[in-house]
This record gives sequence, C-alpha cells and structure tokens, in this order.
Amino acid sequence: MIRYVVKRLMMLVPVLFGVTLVSFSLLQIVPGDPAVLLAGEDANPEFIEAVRKEYGFDQPLHVQYLRFVARAVQGDFGISIRNREPVIRLLLQRFSFTVQLSFLSILIAAAIGLVAGVVSATRQYSLFDHASMVGALLGISMPIFWLGLLLMLVFSVHLRWFPAGGSGELRHLILPAIALGAASAAVIARMTRASMLEVIRQDYIRTARANGLRETVVIYKHALKNAMIPVITVFGLEFGYMLGGAVLTETVFSLPGVGRLMVEGIFQRDYAVVQGAMLLVATTFVLVNLLTDIAYALFDPKIRYE
Amino acid sequence: MKRTLLGATLVLAALLAFGPGAAQAQTVIYAAGADPDSLDPPNAESNPSEAVNRMIYENLVKFDAKLNLVPGLAERWEQAPDGLSWTFFLRKGVSFHDGTPFNAEAVKYFVERMLGPEKPSRAGLYTPFVESVTVVDPYTVRMNLKTPFAFFLNNLAHSASGIGSPAAHKALGKDIARKPVGTGPFKFVEWVHGDHLTLARNDAYWGGKPKLEKIVIKTVKEDAARVMMLQSGDAHLAVRLPAEDIPRLEKDARLQLDSTETLRVLYVGFNCQKKPFSDVRVRKAFNLATDRDSIVRNLYRGRALPASNIVAPRTTGYVPLPAHPYDPEKAKKLLAEAGYPNGLKARFISPMGRYPKDYEMAQALQQQWKQAGIEVSLGTMEWAAYLAATRKPVDQTDVEIFLLGWAPSSAEARWILYPLYHSDQWVPKGNNRIFYANKEFDDYVDKLTKATVQAERDKYLKLAQEVLHREVPQIPILVTKETIGYTKKLKGVINSPLELTYFDQNTHLEK
Repeated sequence: MIRYVVKRLMMLVPVLFGVTLVSFSLLQIVPGDPAVLLAGEDANPEFIEAVRKEYGFDQPLHVQYLRFVARAVQGDFGISIRNREPVIRLLLQRFSFTVQLSFLSILIAAAIGLVAGVVSATRQYSLFDHASMVGALLGISMPIFWLGLLLMLVFSVHLRWFPAGGSGELRHLILPAIALGAASAAVIARMTRASMLEVIRQDYIRTARANGLRETVVIYKHALKNAMIPVITVFGLEFGYMLGGAVLTETVFSLPGVGRLMVEGIFQRDYAVVQGAMLLVATTFVLVNLLTDIAYALFDPKIRYE
Repeated sequence: MKRTLLGATLVLAALLAFGPGAAQAQTVIYAAGADPDSLDPPNAESNPSEAVNRMIYENLVKFDAKLNLVPGLAERWEQAPDGLSWTFFLRKGVSFHDGTPFNAEAVKYFVERMLGPEKPSRAGLYTPFVESVTVVDPYTVRMNLKTPFAFFLNNLAHSASGIGSPAAHKALGKDIARKPVGTGPFKFVEWVHGDHLTLARNDAYWGGKPKLEKIVIKTVKEDAARVMMLQSGDAHLAVRLPAEDIPRLEKDARLQLDSTETLRVLYVGFNCQKKPFSDVRVRKAFNLATDRDSIVRNLYRGRALPASNIVAPRTTGYVPLPAHPYDPEKAKKLLAEAGYPNGLKARFISPMGRYPKDYEMAQALQQQWKQAGIEVSLGTMEWAAYLAATRKPVDQTDVEIFLLGWAPSSAEARWILYPLYHSDQWVPKGNNRIFYANKEFDDYVDKLTKATVQAERDKYLKLAQEVLHREVPQIPILVTKETIGYTKKLKGVINSPLELTYFDQNTHLEK
C-alpha cells in the first residue's frame, strides 16, 4: 500500500511538468500583452517597457519558461502583475477558501445524493423514486449561475435568511454550497440508485434476508457498502472538480476562490497567477484521485494495492 | 453511514443558526464591480483603484463635484507670468497616516518619484512638463516647468497625483501599492484580493473627524449579484448598475439612484491611412448613416447623451458643436462621389462588455450603416486581445473600423485631443489608433498646450475641436452615464463624472 502511494506520488512530477509546459505555451499563444493590458486605454510606452522588463517579458520564451520552472521548484511562483502580491500568498488564501466551499458542497451533495439514491433504489418506481429522479435531472441540467441567482433572489432578497454575497462567515457559504452541490447531488443520487439496484438483486443480499437480518442492516450494511465503489468514483471526481475552483459559483456569490483567481488571471494575462493556479489545481486533482483509489480498498477489502 | 448523515444534518443545523450579523454603526458596505489593482496612485490604472485612492490620498489641488479646481493640500497657488513655474502654499498641520508630517519635502519627494527612474505608469503627467521642484520653505514648494502647460493644475488634481508618505515609500518601494499611506480621511486596514478591502476612519484628519467609522469595499463582479446585495441590504451602495435593472430599482422606496453624466465618449474610429477611410467623404458617409438618437433612445433607454464632439460636455475645454444629422440618403450620395456608387464593404470590431452595451451598439451601427449601402462584418475579441489589436503600428495593423471609449482622467480636453489625434501620438507610441495626421490640427493642439492665458487656450481648443467636427476621423456616438444606487440613509456620497464613487469626511449613515 505504502509503495503504491509513493509510486503514485512520484507520478505527480511528470504530470506537473506537463501542466507547466501546457499552461505556459497556451498563455503565449493567446493574443494580448500583459503590460499593454495593465496600462489600459491610455497606455504610456515607457511604462509598458518598464513592466516588460520588471517581469521578464522581454526575455526569450525559453528563458522565461526555464526561469519560471527553476523558481517554482523552490516554491516561488513570482508576483502578480495586477496587485504585486506574491502568487503563493494569493493561492493559499484562495485555496483555503475553495476547500471550505468544496467540503460543504460535497457534504450537502453526499447527504442528499445518498439518501435519495438509496431510498429510490429500495422503492423502485415509487412516487419518491420518480420525484427524486426528476429532481436529479433538474439538478444536472440547471445552469449553476441561474440556480445561484435564483437561490439569492429567494433566500437573500425575499426571505432575507442568508446574505446575497460576500464571504467571511459560514452563513455566506450556505447558498453557494447548495448551488455548487446540486449537480453533484444529482449525479451521486443517480449513481447510488443504479448501483444499489444492481447489488440488491445479488444472491448474498437474498441470503442476508433469508438469515433474518433486519431490512435496515441488509440495505445499509450489506448492500450500500458494496454499492459504494462506483459512487466513490463519482464522489472523487466531483470533489476534485470542486477543489479545482468553481468559477461560476464564485462569481455569482462574489466568493474569493481559486476558480475566479485563475479565470480572472487569464483575462488579465497575469501569467504568474495562472501558472501557479494551474499547478495547484493539477496537484489537488491528482491527490484527490489517489485518495479515491485508497478509499476503494477501505470499502471493498477485495481491492488491494500491491 | 447513518452517523455521517446525522453529522451532516447537525453541521447544517449549526450553520443555519448563524443569524445575519448586526450591522455596525457607521460601517458602510460598498459593492464594487472589480477588484482594485494598485493602491499606489502613480501606478493605479483602473477606476476601482482610483476610487479607493481618492479616500486614502489627497492632492495639492482637488476637483469639486463639478470638476472645478479647488484647494486640496495646497491652500493656494501662483503661476509665474511666463507660465514656467508654479508656487504652492501648503496646508499646515497635516500628517500622513503613519505620522510623517506633510510638507514641502513630501511634495518634492512625490514629484521626483514621478520624474525618476522608477517610471510609474502615470509618469506622463509630469515628465513632459516638469523640469524640477524646489522647496522654498517648509510649507512652500515650487515646480519649475520645461514649457508652459495650460492644464498643469488638472494633472495635479488627477487621481494619480495623490501624495503618499515618503517614509512609507522609502521603506516599501513599489509594494506601497498594497500598503498605502496617505493623508486622506480614511486609512488602509486590510485588503483580501478578490474579496474585500477595508478602510477605517483617520481620527487625526485635518478636515475634521470623518463621520463614517469603517468602509468595506466588496468585489462583486456579477451585475445581478450587486443589484441583489443592494436590495437585500447586504450592501449600502452598489456601483455600475445594469440599465435593465434601473427602472425596477427606482421604484424601491428605500433606495436612492444617482445617474451621473461622465466624461466618457464611445466612438467609432477608422484607420485614416487606409483606403477608403483616408477619404473624408467616406468617413462623413459613415457619420451621416449613424442614427445616434435611435441608439440612445432604444438601446440605452435615455441613459446616455448623443455626442457630436469627442469631448464630452462636462470636460473642461468643451466646445458645443452642432449635432451631426442622420441622413442615409446624403451618405449614399457622398459614397458615390467618393467612387463607391454601389456601397462598400469593411471590417468592424467591437469589444464586448467593456463599456455598457458596447457590442449591442456595434450591432445597431451595423444595421444603420446598411441603410446607406455600407456592409460591415462585425467581429469581437476579448479585451486583452482587443487592446493589442488596436495598438499595432500602422504597417502591421489590419484593423479598419473599431469601437472604443475614452475619458480624460484629468477632466480636460487636451487629454483627448493630444493623445488620440496628434500625429506624434500614433500607436504604439501614443494612443492615436486611427493614424490621423493633420498639420493644422497639430498646430492648434501645440498652441493650446502652451497657452498661458485662458482666452488664448480656449481659442485653440475651439479651433481644434472644429477640425475634428469637420473631418470626422472618428465618429463620436454618445456620452455614457454611470448609475449608482444606495440606501437613502447614506448621505454625502460623491459620484464623480470621472466614473469614481467615493466618500469623504462628511459622508454618513442616518439612524
């Protein structure tokens, strides 16, 4: 197991190297000059030159790239051309925020998704089943920004239960977590239902029932645990995406997460920020995938990593 | 699993128990549309930064609400008869937020920083004009100019001329951009990028203790979210309200809406060195085929003014000129005269979302021009690419017609006439993106720049604007309006025509 984890972690190196190369090249291909953009409509050529020099944009591309990699290895991602803040500080600030939002969202998604999925499966074709599957369809199809605005209109403007935006306290996170978690809840619900339906038709479930076990024990201990493998896969993917930043949710609710940092960085040609954020997101995604694989083994002892 | 579900429910219940926090007295929440960039005035390039800087820093000379020049940190000033030096008599008893005294040395330090090797982005306000600065006595400072400059005081009142603490700049260098120290009514507390920026009252403010205790400026990018924060009471003030929401917000009895005519003119520019746009008859045909009234009425619902001049009416040095008529038939005739009896085809680009309804306006223009036989293909680019495309030198550019906006941040007409039209300002050196070159016009601009007498300055301002009205190297379309909304309890909000919304020591919240 430990050897497996170490091996997987080693794989991070080529992945991250690839990410730096791709993100650097993409940023170079996109038209637009960071210094010109910073200077705005009434640009002053001397200032543009000074900015290019200060941030090294006047150097040949391979020099810029190698310099970036050399510094990144030492944990220095440069400073933002926008606000002169060290990128590492921006990343940590934004990431701690994204982690909070992601945890709350995945918690909500898992709670709703698992309950709906299990109940739908055990009462297949019941009214609840139909209702929850229609709900799941809505959850998947609803554009997140629209759901977010709708939640804000109802719960902030009309009912005044939650603030309409901003961050700082937990109550600021509830509506965004629901908006962000809705689609994941839907996916988890559908996956749980499908997987459960398969499992409860297995022989060992019939055996468990024949042994006179209580139905709740049969469902939650014997069936659900075995049905969890595909659900965990989905769970891991959804969580990975959330940790990669939720730009729409963050924008609608004015939250300072990694997603907005990266997208705004792209629009502002803030190369250092975009590259730093890409590295962070890639690392997180790989790690979440690794955790997912480890979780398989916890739920299914048949799976071993040697 | 049951335990997990139970846990999740408990967490949710705990979260719900947080009620909305009681708002602190005299704390104002300001919903801005974007994060500031630099809090160092000489390097600040965006309106959100300038609005914050106006509360932290002060200038020698200030703009009042009508953009008249009034005393700021200088109580009065004198211009030498030859126009080559200005003497400023400074206010006494002022200190920066870090305790450094404000005096002639601080002014000298600031101006020399502008002139020096650091090359701040707004150095251009000083380098072409200022030769040196001398401390006459601790509270008198003299600026010696290379050449007389008619609008020198406007440059001193520009947001970039907010004077910072020399001690803080010596200690922090360029990083003063995120730890600003000025003399203004509010001082910097913290800045969480992309989230909020907090200012607190400067109890030692020379103009009296400010009434607001704290200002929290939140970055709220999404228009709809800003509107909802205003309606739900989560923000006391919101800027850049979208036109669609304004009629509805106007009906809300708790809210005050304030629409201010800005100095920004949205215009269409041509590559004047390229056929057929080098022919004034073709440019006039475009102008005649443009129905400004319809655009203002239908697209902007009256929240803009049709423009006949690239200089907006509230700009110092504005000259009223006759409105450009809408006459597609005459446009066709002119095109025929110019050798295009069957109309012409061209490429037109517009930004999308940079200015209110910019791309929609471009679409409207496309339709209007069609009536005169002009077929333009309309394209758009994201802003960074757009700026880059319209900054290419004359031998590389493939831009034919473009849409852009311009507002003189020093509130005077030269900041339009010189950078946009003077022949030594062709991009990429300056901002003449249309490659306009007219000796007569250049001469007027040079003369108005050096005028030491106002009558003389105004004479050449008029002549220069008349040339543009006649030659239409760019078509001014409209003057924008900036609408902000705030709770009626908030009094003394400053909504400047410079597209800046800020507070001063008198702004307060009524109980």
